Amino acid sequence: MSAVLVAEPPAVDTGARGGGARAVLALAGFEARRLLLSVPVVIAFAAYAAWIVWRTRSSWDGHPALQDADRATQSMPMLVGLAVLVCADLAVLRSARHGTEEHYALLVVAPWRRTVAHALSVVPAALLTAVCVAAQFTWEALKPGAVGHGSPAELLVGPLTVLLFGLFGVLLARLVRSVFAAPLLVVCLLFTSVLGTGPDGADGLSWLSPVVAGGSATTLPSDLLGRPAAWHALYLAGAALCAAFLAVLVAGGRGRAVRAGLALSLALAVTGGVLQARGAAPSPELTAARERASVNPEKEQTCVTRGRSTYCAFPEWVPRADDWAGVVDRVQSLAGGPAHDRRLLVRQRIEARYGLESDAAIPASATAHQVTVGTGWGGNRVPEFSSAVAAVLVTGSERATEGLCDGRMVTVMWLALSWQDDPMDALRRVRLDDSVSGSAVVLSPTEPMSMTEGQTDVVRRLLERPGDGVAEKVKEHWAELTSPGVTTARAAELLGVAGPRKADSCEE
Amino acid sequence: MRGVTGALAGPVRRTLPWRALGAAGTLGLLLAGAPALTGAEPTDGQTLVLLRGIALTGALGLAFLLDDPARHLTAPVPTRRPARQALRVALVAPPAALWWTAVLLLTPSGTRPPVGDVTLEAAVICALALAGATVAVRLTDEPRPGPSVAAALLLAAVLAPLLAPESWALFVPPGDERWAAAHDRWAVLLCAALVVAAVGAAEPLRRGRLR
Repeated sequence: MSAVLVAEPPAVDTGARGGGARAVLALAGFEARRLLLSVPVVIAFAAYAAWIVWRTRSSWDGHPALQDADRATQSMPMLVGLAVLVCADLAVLRSARHGTEEHYALLVVAPWRRTVAHALSVVPAALLTAVCVAAQFTWEALKPGAVGHGSPAELLVGPLTVLLFGLFGVLLARLVRSVFAAPLLVVCLLFTSVLGTGPDGADGLSWLSPVVAGGSATTLPSDLLGRPAAWHALYLAGAALCAAFLAVLVAGGRGRAVRAGLALSLALAVTGGVLQARGAAPSPELTAARERASVNPEKEQTCVTRGRSTYCAFPEWVPRADDWAGVVDRVQSLAGGPAHDRRLLVRQRIEARYGLESDAAIPASATAHQVTVGTGWGGNRVPEFSSAVAAVLVTGSERATEGLCDGRMVTVMWLALSWQDDPMDALRRVRLDDSVSGSAVVLSPTEPMSMTEGQTDVVRRLLERPGDGVAEKVKEHWAELTSPGVTTARAAELLGVAGPRKADSCEE
Repeated sequence: MRGVTGALAGPVRRTLPWRALGAAGTLGLLLAGAPALTGAEPTDGQTLVLLRGIALTGALGLAFLLDDPARHLTAPVPTRRPARQALRVALVAPPAALWWTAVLLLTPSGTRPPVGDVTLEAAVICALALAGATVAVRLTDEPRPGPSVAAALLLAAVLAPLLAPESWALFVPPGDERWAAAHDRWAVLLCAALVVAAVGAAEPLRRGRLR
């Protein structure tokens, strides 16, 4: 009669492993949400996103080389990483600060499992950084003027830096149980990045720091970069995992998996560190390849024909030949005499022998009817290239342009600038001191040229007049305008504008 | 009242966060001595950045100054909160001044920027730390607001040089023509920080709405 309803005892989770894993994941999710919503991390991500938008809108004048754009994603994640470091450290110490450590002792989740959860809570921050990096790089890659190839290893550095800093914060909290250790460590880290001691990537030791951006004064083809990027990413991943496993070990995790993981991650970090140090100095093959690309680029380059002229460039830059051809065609259409139909050879030249950091000048080419173009484009590079094309059309070669200081300079500058949308602005940008009066140095892809005060005045008067009348006169008097020794006053007279107030100062 | 404050001095001295202050001070002295220890010869700009960073380190220590685990027990004592907080500041001020003098003496004398102006900058960041701590104490019930204040101060110190408009010219290099004007601005900032600290120190008559 007594059908006793025996209630099933609540399923006690005796399997510490399975239940533990679920508890760890739940705790990791909770801590990850808290970490991502903590004030410093939110502000750091907001500043990071604002920086991406502000910078990427105008970077590289809309013509990025993707082998540079991937490295440009590396520096700002450091800021996010510092915020994550502090917040992860404070999160681990929260229970000690609030005196709830004793309550946790009642739970099945051992301290080392909680440490695992804290380590896992850093991962979403790293993933969010990866999304930001991917967005920045994709934006660059989708620009119409983008050339070259990005390296996945370089793109990984940003997220891995955040992961490393966050896991290091967890480790720090396990080693030093005080809340002011993390802020003080951040001050020290700031010193290493601010005080001008930033790593230059020249030797193996400098590659031990998370971000080795390397001053990038020049853009090189991606196979001449000589950066051990893949080994560096391996080193960062190994160091981050090593910090995580060490934190778990310090927190009391003595399992075989922890020990094996620590040994494996240490091996990864050491392997990456040693191999990246070996790759820091350029190998003999790389040095030879850089030498070849600098001195005899002909064998490495691909040539295409657009209209009358030929464009030879390193394979990654060949898509840009149409941009170059547009400039060459416009300048040539303004020229008269034989220059109007001349076949030009536009050759891309680089100086790769001194690595990424140097900004070595490219010597003028002695070959007749050859124009040099660099690796950059957009912005000021356009009027600079245009000036070089005009100078070669007028004088015959780049070498002949050196020391050019007679009236031919007027024709050169008028050819280079008058077709542009805003010739006066182009004149300002192509001159070193951004002026439109007085004497100044005119930039070009190779050796700079110089304009005297009188030439500047004449060119300015020409550019301020409607172009057509001048264009007729340039074609009509082409032979005299381009003959060596023509004075600026004579050129102005031929072109129908007032001449300089005094004689050319070049001869002074 | 004076007698009570005097009697408080001893217990308050014991509850000060000496470990945080000591750690910050030691790190600051180590940083200041780093050029001499390593034989480096920093430029003017590097010395200034070094001194600013050391001042930040000290301010991070001071952000913990108002941490009081017994806060809820001491709330009803007759000595008012401004007096107790002022006592804490007064107890820390002499060692802090000594520490900053030592820091200045440790940095290379050849490239040391104008001492008075750099001290003003250091005073501003310390006053900001204290203002943050008093405001945190006033607006929250947290007995130990130090970590949050330190994190906020650190974040502000990282972001301010990056984001402050160039025209404000607060972080000018030595030898810049705007140096004098910049330090007038620093002085204004110091006054503002002290006002905020004074306002934050006052104990609200009613519990704040942020509870």
